[in-house]
Amino acid sequence: MTTATPVRSIDTSGTARVPFLRLVSVEWRKMLDTRGGFWLLAVTGALVVLCFALTILVVALNDGFSVSAGMISEIFTIPLSLLLPVLAILIVTSEWSQRSHMVTFTLEPSRMRVMLAKLAAVTVLSLLTIVFAFVMGALTNVICAAILDANASWNLDAGEIAWLVVLQLIYMLMGFGIAALFLNTPASIAVYYVASLLLPLMVYSILVAIFDWARELIPFIDITYAVTPFQQGTDMMGQPVDTGVVDVLRVITSMLLWVVGPIVLGFSRVLRSELK
Amino acid sequence: MIKLEGVTKVYGGFTAVDDVSFECQPGRVTGFLGPNGAGKSTAMRIMVGLTPATRGRATIGGHDYHDLPNPGRHVGVLLDASAQHAGRTGREILSLAARTMGLPASRVDEMLALVGLQPSEAKRRLRNYSLGMKQRLGLAHALLGDPEVLILDEPANGLDPAGIRWMRDLLKGYADRGGTVLLSSHLLNEVELIADEMILIGRGRIVAQGNKKQLLAGAGTQATLVTALDNDAFTTVLKERGLVAVPMGEGLRVEAPAVEVGRAAAETGTVLVDLRAAEGGLEDLFLTLTADTQREAPAGAPVPPAVPTTQGGLQ
Repeated sequence: MTTATPVRSIDTSGTARVPFLRLVSVEWRKMLDTRGGFWLLAVTGALVVLCFALTILVVALNDGFSVSAGMISEIFTIPLSLLLPVLAILIVTSEWSQRSHMVTFTLEPSRMRVMLAKLAAVTVLSLLTIVFAFVMGALTNVICAAILDANASWNLDAGEIAWLVVLQLIYMLMGFGIAALFLNTPASIAVYYVASLLLPLMVYSILVAIFDWARELIPFIDITYAVTPFQQGTDMMGQPVDTGVVDVLRVITSMLLWVVGPIVLGFSRVLRSELK
Repeated sequence: MIKLEGVTKVYGGFTAVDDVSFECQPGRVTGFLGPNGAGKSTAMRIMVGLTPATRGRATIGGHDYHDLPNPGRHVGVLLDASAQHAGRTGREILSLAARTMGLPASRVDEMLALVGLQPSEAKRRLRNYSLGMKQRLGLAHALLGDPEVLILDEPANGLDPAGIRWMRDLLKGYADRGGTVLLSSHLLNEVELIADEMILIGRGRIVAQGNKKQLLAGAGTQATLVTALDNDAFTTVLKERGLVAVPMGEGLRVEAPAVEVGRAAAETGTVLVDLRAAEGGLEDLFLTLTADTQREAPAGAPVPPAVPTTQGGLQ
């Protein structure tokens, strides 16, 4: 508005689109600038530190009890898998619950770009948190070795690490997709925990132990059951398995059901919905 | 600058915005006036692409809102001052927007100063803001990118009289520098004072548009307030000339221009103690034009008696 003569059109030649990385940096900041986001990260960090302290305490107090690098990395991913998906859910649903989506999507009308920026921001945050957990895990390993006067070998192979990282990201994506589908914080968190924790631990484990059909069927609809043969070389019952075509199919169907499906449906809902 | 062509929004069987067309000129403040639920907010959301129109097209400066690069630099939008994260501070809300638009942090301080939010207030979280403070923050948010166009939904809502005057001066100044302002309100007095042009909307349709003079002329209803020494006698005089006079306050209200009433008095030698054009003509017009869309029955209409249900159970 440098001229006082009335113009009836807007000259957009001098304005560039908002760069994608700037959108990511804004979404990054939105994750951390509220009490909810701050405390969620703080609690995640605190739980990692707690794992650190507990593991060392257990090792120090139990003569001859040693922990492997694999055990340590599993211990340290528990707090991450519990809380990171909530961050992924909140980055989407808080816009709707707080109705700030009206501002977000008027400053960047391409809803797809905003959603991808949110996804990028929460992915970076997840990766950083995983790195933090691994550093704390390695530190635990060194201290435990010193206590036990043993060799501090951090004998995790690249495959194991990759699976841990990939699984964390898969669950984060699952949270993100569910959030986009429901656009409501309590519903998303509830559905996420029921599907990712409650069903596999409380329901599927019992069904699998009792029924043969469940052993065949459940890996098709549950990510953890589907992925375990690839990750650990055994099924959920601890039996060694040779992964074949069926196992690959199971990974595909469970991922379609809980990750790809919700993301596709959720994104189309976000892109089409009326914001008010 | 803002152009709507046959914009229609249908929800199921309900038409919220019905074939609305108008244009807002640069250098002017356009008031968008209508009772609650008339479709003002829906029309504004359609302009900025938050609500898809069922039919018709809305453009800003010749572009679809979606096609504007970095739209915050061209169009300032305030649709709902409360629609921000309640846990963020005022300053943080502006900082996020400034960062998105690629503006320096100093711009945030400039805007806070412009809308009169103190540094201590800017540090508070939005949930602790009064409605008036939220409106000021929302205005700062809209002005942040130095846009050519402002789209403001009920911006004066919650402002105190001093705040309304402040906003009026701000928007007038903005329009005088060549900016285009569209602001909505359900309060006629607010819009009457600020707007150069008015668009009256009722039940999703435009019922009238133009400036104050055009609107009043178009309505053809000019009323006069008159007080004579002997009101009863003067009423008879007026009646003989085919003018309807009804008692109002100390005098009469006549549905005719003041000059005719004055002439009637002069020709009959009636002594008048007061003669003036009735104000609130615009309000009458507004109420008439939107009468079928009002939720309220006219004052004085009997309240329908509650009918006791003689048979139990849900009806």
